[in-house]
Amino acid sequence: MADAQSDLLRSSLDLLILKTLSWGPMHGYAISEWIEAASESVVLLDEGTLYPALHRLERRGWIAAEWGVSDNNRRAKFYRLTNAGRMRFRAESSVWHRHAAPIVATLARKSPAPS
Amino acid sequence: MNVGHDWRRLFRLPRDNARATAREIDDEIAFHLAMREEKLRRLGVEPNEARAEARTRFGDQQLVREECVSIDQQHAREVRLMEWLDSVLADLRYAIRTLRRRPAFTLVATLTLAVGIGATTAMFTLVNGILLRPLPYPRSDRIVQLYQAYPEKGLDHWGISQENIAMYRDRSSDFESFAAYRGGRLTLTGGDRAVRLNVALVTADFFHVLGVSPARGRPFTRDEDAQGRNDIIILSDGLWHSRFGGRTDLIGSTMELDGQPTRIVGIMPPSFQFPDVQTQAWLPMGLDPTRRHAWFNLGLARLKPGVSIEHAHRQTTAIMWDWARREPDLMGLTSIQPERTRMETKVVALQQAMVGDTRRPLVVLLASVGLMLLIAIANVATLLSSRAAVRQREIVLRTALGATRSRVTRQLLTESIALAVGGAIIGVALAYVAVRGFTHSEIVALPRLSEVHVDATVLAVTLIVTLTSGILFGLLPTLHGLRGRRAADLSSGTRESAHRSVRRFNNGLVIAQLSLSLVLLIASGLMLESFRRLTTLDLGFRPDGVTSIALPLPSKYSNSATRSNPFIATLLERIRATPGVQLAALAWGLPFEGNSNVDGYLIQGRPIPSSGNEGQTYQIAASPGYFATLGIPLLYGRDFTTADDTTGTPVSIIDESIARKFFTGTNALGKRIRVTGDTTWTTIVGVVGAIHDDDATQLPGPHMYVSLAQQGSNQLALAVRTRGNSSSTIQEVRAMIAALEPSIPLDHVRLLTSVIGESFATRRLTELLLAGFAAIAVLLAGVGIYGVMSLSVANRQREFGVRLAVGADPAGLVRLVLREGVVLAALGVGIGVIGALVATRSMTSLLYGVSPTDPLIFLSLAVLLAAIAVASCVMPARRASKSDPLVALRAD
Repeated sequence: MADAQSDLLRSSLDLLILKTLSWGPMHGYAISEWIEAASESVVLLDEGTLYPALHRLERRGWIAAEWGVSDNNRRAKFYRLTNAGRMRFRAESSVWHRHAAPIVATLARKSPAPS
Repeated sequence: MNVGHDWRRLFRLPRDNARATAREIDDEIAFHLAMREEKLRRLGVEPNEARAEARTRFGDQQLVREECVSIDQQHAREVRLMEWLDSVLADLRYAIRTLRRRPAFTLVATLTLAVGIGATTAMFTLVNGILLRPLPYPRSDRIVQLYQAYPEKGLDHWGISQENIAMYRDRSSDFESFAAYRGGRLTLTGGDRAVRLNVALVTADFFHVLGVSPARGRPFTRDEDAQGRNDIIILSDGLWHSRFGGRTDLIGSTMELDGQPTRIVGIMPPSFQFPDVQTQAWLPMGLDPTRRHAWFNLGLARLKPGVSIEHAHRQTTAIMWDWARREPDLMGLTSIQPERTRMETKVVALQQAMVGDTRRPLVVLLASVGLMLLIAIANVATLLSSRAAVRQREIVLRTALGATRSRVTRQLLTESIALAVGGAIIGVALAYVAVRGFTHSEIVALPRLSEVHVDATVLAVTLIVTLTSGILFGLLPTLHGLRGRRAADLSSGTRESAHRSVRRFNNGLVIAQLSLSLVLLIASGLMLESFRRLTTLDLGFRPDGVTSIALPLPSKYSNSATRSNPFIATLLERIRATPGVQLAALAWGLPFEGNSNVDGYLIQGRPIPSSGNEGQTYQIAASPGYFATLGIPLLYGRDFTTADDTTGTPVSIIDESIARKFFTGTNALGKRIRVTGDTTWTTIVGVVGAIHDDDATQLPGPHMYVSLAQQGSNQLALAVRTRGNSSSTIQEVRAMIAALEPSIPLDHVRLLTSVIGESFATRRLTELLLAGFAAIAVLLAGVGIYGVMSLSVANRQREFGVRLAVGADPAGLVRLVLREGVVLAALGVGIGVIGALVATRSMTSLLYGVSPTDPLIFLSLAVLLAAIAVASCVMPARRASKSDPLVALRAD
């Protein structure tokens, strides 16, 4: 059960990160704020889990990182979407759009008989 | 440590910078916590509480940190690998550009390497296919061959009888399955033309032991081992296609073998070629456990898991001894004491048994080819080092411009590996062609040849050899070229000293090349001389002009002299009347055909030696005229006559080697002799000269001839000595036989000289290849010394020019350069002689009539090589004497 949950969460978290960064470069904290606000804290149970996801996406070349200065003048690591990341986001979000609603509908069904 | 560090830099392997990575991650986490804390405080949470809340919401910091570190480290490694690959590609492009700028150098170096690597690959392909690769049967390492040894009787390779087969099969507990087999020939009749088949006569479990089932039909069953039930056959894929056109409805149908209807029950897959590639069909031998004589079979068994060969050997030998004690008249005589006779059952891994005598020549050839490769590498190293001298400025310049020493070394290494790979590509192509030529050649007689081909193992080994060669010839001169060279050396004044060290290095390589090629030269000289002695050896008979025709008599004549005599008489009479036929005779077998019967013999009136101590003799039944046809001299007495038939007294003719042991002069005549396998005494009527048989390297073995008209047989050999054009005469003889008896297949017709030649096939091959390798080695060494001397002369143009300008004698300069060549040649030849003394000792078993340290061969080849070496220096020496002082002076 735990595995199923973490797999699903991990892939949806990746997608949300890409979505967040599509607005422009952000540091980790800002990304976490954005995701929490948008998803009502369902996806990001522990804020810390955001960071391995960010580093994994960076390794895959979908996002790039750079140290910069935050609004309140602190040294912060900023992430931005790369071209590859943008393409990945488009591909993955279209998959979600196509499949998410039917899956939810199927899971919600109460009777085994085909309609 | 330092070395490791250097190597790392050379190949830019990833270094651990885990600490920096971890620090960055810590900073990132700290930033997040601080921001969260700040926000909470702005919302009015107490500072302490805000801090705790931020941590709680973050989760397990340690876990996050570790996960991030590991991801980042993987990432860093990947990035560095990509960068490294990029730089290697850049090096490669640079190397190819450089090589293309010097096409002559590149061509010579590539071809030299192609020959070296190609020959090594081809030889290794043979060694791999024959010696290394497991046999193509499941768990083939568990399959063993069984035979017996009876050292006291000189029987090192004594087969097993049908009684022995049943005994080992039923009493040994070490084998999962046990079978036996022997080769045989049968005549396929019933078609428009009789055809002789090479078959294997086997016991039921034969296919089971090997773990191979027929592709169609079924294997033999145990009850088909019994005589009377064995009228069935399994065909090879080849025979199925060649004789039956691959018809799919063949199983269950009947073919005629020696006039007997035989049912086809199976067809083997094309890959199945056991005992050898010639085998066309398998039949049950019709096992008769009461047949105590005829030790013609070989055992074939699969060991139970965990049972060692050694254990099986002990167990089967115990079984054999028990049998020998219970069978006191085993050899037609009284009591055997197996302990004393040192009889044993040999259990040998099948692979080893099949490879047999070819191991040594193949290993020697592989070693020779290895030496040749070393010479090629040395040659290319010389070429590169002379370039290194030329490129000194370039290297120093690049170093001055900031390239690290390891970077430059890597660049040069890339260049040499690129050369090696280029050579390897051509070499593998050459090897592929050579191996194909080999395996498709008629004259090469090696076991498992059909399994020999260039495969993944071979290519992997070639790759390793190639990279090693590249590093070897690339690294040697570059390390040497770089040593102590600094930017200051850009001034050309120090070039002379650089040249001097290059020269020392090259001289070393030349000496190495000369000595290695002398080792090869001497090895091949010894082989050539052995071969010359073997082929000019007086065999005791004159094979030239004699044609051998295998003559299997149809069953209506077989095994009874009375039945076959009239036919044989008519046959010989008509053959002798054929125009062009000088002489003709029939016998059980001709020398070197390997069909002779070997048995112990006893002389009447002589003390009977204890069993196992009798002398062994070849026993051959021959028709009148046999000795004259083969050119064996009749020393005393008479030849067989037509009167020596079943109605006359049994007679025999012995050869000199028996006669000399027991008799003097003519007193052998009238004495009586018999073989231990037969109780009939025969009266000696003649003494003939001794002949070599089967293996010319052995001393002539005793031969005892009996009268064919008194013995009979169904497998005969016809010897025809022809005058003039033999092929048209033989054509007529064949037509005549076919007219007389159409059921005799006549497809085994060979010149006796080529039969003998076949017994030398492996030697011939070894000799030819070794001579080829030696010739290439000498050529490479000659080119090597020429190149080195030319370079040395070119580099000393200035010195020579100055010498000439101050009045030196040009002839003196020639002498000066030649003297240098002589010193090199002497050193190379000296070291080579020592190397050859060590190396040729491993060849003793391949030599015949020549000592591995034969002084004449050593001396003459050493002188030959030295002469070639010095001759290669003549041109460069002439050039030295023509040095122009002005050119030299202007050079700076």
